[in-house]
Amino acid sequence: MTADATVEPGQAAPPPADSAPPALDIYAPSLKIPKPQWRPLKAFAYDPSRGRRLGNCMSIAIRYEKLSPGPVGDRFAVVDYDGAQKTYYAPVNLDDPAILIQGGLDPSEVDPRFHQQMVYAVASETLERFEAALGRRVHWRHAVDADGRQITGRKDRLLLHPHAMREANAFYSPDVHGILFGYFRASKTDPGQNLPGQTVFTCLSHDIVAHETTHAIVDGIRAYFMEPTNVDVAAFHEAFADLAALFRHFSHRETLIDTLQKTGGKLYALHLKTASSATPDEEAADKGKTGAQIQADIAEANPLIGLANQFGEASGMHGSLRSALGTPPNSKDIETVTEPHDRGSILVAAVFDAYFSVYLARATPLLRIYRSGGRDSDDLPTALAELLAREASRTAEMFFTVCARALDYCPPVDITFGDFLRALITADRDFYPDDTDGVRDALMQAFRLRGIVAEDAAYFSEGSLCWPEIEAGTLPVYGLLFGDPNGLLPDEQKHNGDLLRAWAAKNAHILGFKDGIEIEVPSFHPMFRVAQDGTLKVEMVVELIQTHPDEQADGIGGGPLPLRSGVTLIIGQPSIRGRKRNDPYVRYAIAKKLDAPREQRLRTTLAASEIAKQDASGRITIDFRLIHGGA
Amino acid sequence: MATRTTESTDSTATAAAGIRIRMYRVGFGDFFLMSVPAADGTMAHILVDCGVHAHDLGVIGGAVEQMKADTGGKLALVIMTHRHADHISGFASASDVFQTFAVERVWMSWFEDPKDKQALKIQAGIAATAAHLQAALALRAAPGDDEYLRMAGNALGVSKGGGNAGALVMLHGFKTAEGGPTPVDYYAAGDTPTLPASLAAAGLEADILGPPRDLNLVAQMDNAAHQYLTSGAANDDGPAELFSPAYAVRSFPWPKDDQPIFTPQEIENRVIASQPDALAAAAQKADNALNNQSVVVLFTFRDKTLLFSGDAQWGNWANFLFGGAIGTPGHTDLTDRSRQVLGNLDFYKVGHHGSTNATPMDVVKAMKAGCVAMCSTDPGAYGNPLKGTEVPRTPLLAALTAKTGNQLARSDQVPVGSVPATAGLAAVAAPFKSETPGTIDYWI
Repeated sequence: MTADATVEPGQAAPPPADSAPPALDIYAPSLKIPKPQWRPLKAFAYDPSRGRRLGNCMSIAIRYEKLSPGPVGDRFAVVDYDGAQKTYYAPVNLDDPAILIQGGLDPSEVDPRFHQQMVYAVASETLERFEAALGRRVHWRHAVDADGRQITGRKDRLLLHPHAMREANAFYSPDVHGILFGYFRASKTDPGQNLPGQTVFTCLSHDIVAHETTHAIVDGIRAYFMEPTNVDVAAFHEAFADLAALFRHFSHRETLIDTLQKTGGKLYALHLKTASSATPDEEAADKGKTGAQIQADIAEANPLIGLANQFGEASGMHGSLRSALGTPPNSKDIETVTEPHDRGSILVAAVFDAYFSVYLARATPLLRIYRSGGRDSDDLPTALAELLAREASRTAEMFFTVCARALDYCPPVDITFGDFLRALITADRDFYPDDTDGVRDALMQAFRLRGIVAEDAAYFSEGSLCWPEIEAGTLPVYGLLFGDPNGLLPDEQKHNGDLLRAWAAKNAHILGFKDGIEIEVPSFHPMFRVAQDGTLKVEMVVELIQTHPDEQADGIGGGPLPLRSGVTLIIGQPSIRGRKRNDPYVRYAIAKKLDAPREQRLRTTLAASEIAKQDASGRITIDFRLIHGGA
Repeated sequence: MATRTTESTDSTATAAAGIRIRMYRVGFGDFFLMSVPAADGTMAHILVDCGVHAHDLGVIGGAVEQMKADTGGKLALVIMTHRHADHISGFASASDVFQTFAVERVWMSWFEDPKDKQALKIQAGIAATAAHLQAALALRAAPGDDEYLRMAGNALGVSKGGGNAGALVMLHGFKTAEGGPTPVDYYAAGDTPTLPASLAAAGLEADILGPPRDLNLVAQMDNAAHQYLTSGAANDDGPAELFSPAYAVRSFPWPKDDQPIFTPQEIENRVIASQPDALAAAAQKADNALNNQSVVVLFTFRDKTLLFSGDAQWGNWANFLFGGAIGTPGHTDLTDRSRQVLGNLDFYKVGHHGSTNATPMDVVKAMKAGCVAMCSTDPGAYGNPLKGTEVPRTPLLAALTAKTGNQLARSDQVPVGSVPATAGLAAVAAPFKSETPGTIDYWI
């Protein structure tokens, strides 16, 4: 609280009463050129391996900000330091008029300045999409110094290193407070579409940049979300980052229209139709039966559902969503597959199954109208393709938004696929109470087909899967400040932090925490989002965490193993009744309690985890280096 | 039982009430002999592994000679848990002695079955990875690489006697007492093993608890070995000149009056500290993959149970403990069977020389208090105590010591040849004995 008792926290002091109004003509036209809203920057839509093929060069419009060479902006700093060669590469100045007037440098593999531009553009785009969906500003996880202390008082930007190391890998690392992108030579024996031995840059893959940025965003949102406490955690993070990258594919109009025309509207087809064939997948299946083949005859993989193709081909690894969608769903995989990417692709396939089902439901009337004239050709006219593209991209936008918002409805620790399903269903119902397109049904069916169940939900139905909503007014939180969409001021943050800690301690028993151990409040974020009916929904998402140091087992870096329980609160802003504001109230309390079986499972899983590491501050996280060596 | 004074070199000693387990100290490697009182009054012998790799004390030849004297050159059963040099090198380096043995039966894991195409592919992949690594590590010759070279070497075997390939030839080429070829069985978890006639007659029973057939459970083995092979291969052709030298600059122009999160020096240090050690990672992966192939055998004799777990690591254990991948539906808790087995266990051969990744905490927890354990090990070959990866792992051995009621024997407790016992270790005490130099016995 401020020292001045007459000013409420967060309120600016009024101007002195005796100051004269300035001489100002607000009706005269302003000569000042308004600050631009967007900065266009060029980037590869996929990666350099697709060359200049239709739709591979795209222009990304990101929020305008003034940039220093690097680029260094408000949220990201691209510092092109090569740790293998121990040198810096000349930083690009995106505010150079020569670059501004071209809408960014043209794509080039040989100029590191284009690499810096692309990394900055795609990371910024990803962050903006998340902030729009979440309805708030995302903060990065605090950087820590060598002793595990938080570094404060500095400008907090995520560091992006486009050529950090010579390794077929790219990963988000809390240690460097940023993302390390590697480069490597393509395989000499199995290079895919690359030249044997050519250098492949992970920073030029749109998918990889979006994927890694998503990891950083999620790590900033939740304090202990990345502790690999069960078999689903690492897989969930991989799947979620893949989902964020994949849904971006459907926002890109040119490729979308091209793909729609080459698949006859079936966006999920594994292959594109060639110039000479009618149905793309039959063509792929027939391969080998025909005689001579020319380049134009080779069925090309559908780029929309492929991830990081160049990387996969160059390092000799293939797979992900393509293979997940290419095999019939079965409920056995969930019981045996534990490798994080393979397990994650089950979740990705489930979400995309639902997405394509909803898209088809929306596209079918259009296709019916088209076919009603007796046409049954798969060659779609451009106008129809445009309409279908609009549906596909609108549906993708909606799915991405629901996935992002579902993050706020997940328990703060120990996430499982089942929890994410419940979060998805609850988030979707909260924002789109009328499920006219059957989104929730499609999601439930797709998850059920793949054996993903919610542990403690009694039935596989919407009502049962939604987290139980607490009756308004039952659990009030007096005096919580929601601020405004620009965020909370330091005083308001302190006020809320103190208030929530005291509130949690008082309600520990109701929330399912154990008595006598401190309850942390690692984060609380006010959210401002527009609901289906157009009203503004103001809520706050709060994480509560209790850590029990386990005397029975070693932590990974020595010291006791931290066993955590946690509750995510969604707190609604009160309405006004009569002459006063009601109290804020808890709408959802989404808990992971610490009972004996869970305690034992945590111990076993953490101790056996090959992908966990513990940082100087004692937090255990997924070591993405170990996971992404294959991604 | 502890009062027995049978002359241990006498293979025709009258059968006593119990089984003897003899651990030979050879360095960092497993060499166990289990002797069972047979129906005809003699002892029938089971050899579980015979190898040394890191910290080779140069005594395995003598130990094999000793074992020949201990058994009269007759083995009812030879179990090869997995094809790591520190479990099989003796079959190559002392093949001249082994060729004189009569062996009734040999057991191995299903990964060794020459008729199994999938197994062949996996083993070839791991051997290729290891060979590639060995070459790459030798070229690099960075300080601290010894350990990774050892891991790669462990998967290939030392050259003496033809490496692991030579040992495998020996293991597949034993003769029976009648002079015919010794039958070799290949087992996976849940198989019903065929005991040699002498052991069956003695009343011994055996269950195979590992390795699982499900490759997902054997922790991404195929995957890991092959993936790292490709990325390693993609990486090894010298520093690429990334961009024209014209782009190289010495420093980064931070905006003036800016307060960056790290100083330029800190950024450089952190990026450099994150440089990959793909070779080290690959060596570890290949090492783990082979360990997980270990045959895990549970013997039962007159209601005493003995568990030989080879070097089984997490995936192999998980199959036994949880019946599947932990955390997946239905596999979140110990199975009744694993609880019962561990809760009644009388003897445990400590997995992987006391490494932290081979004896899950659940095992120690569920194990019967007072169970006796033996661990063949030698400190300082692998791992780093500062990182909590030292082998043997101090807290694990402490937990085992507590659980066994101080009945944990280590092979390096006894001197062998000119090598003294590891400093700071207690002398061999009851219930263990050291009657023949370089060995520790336990009578059950």
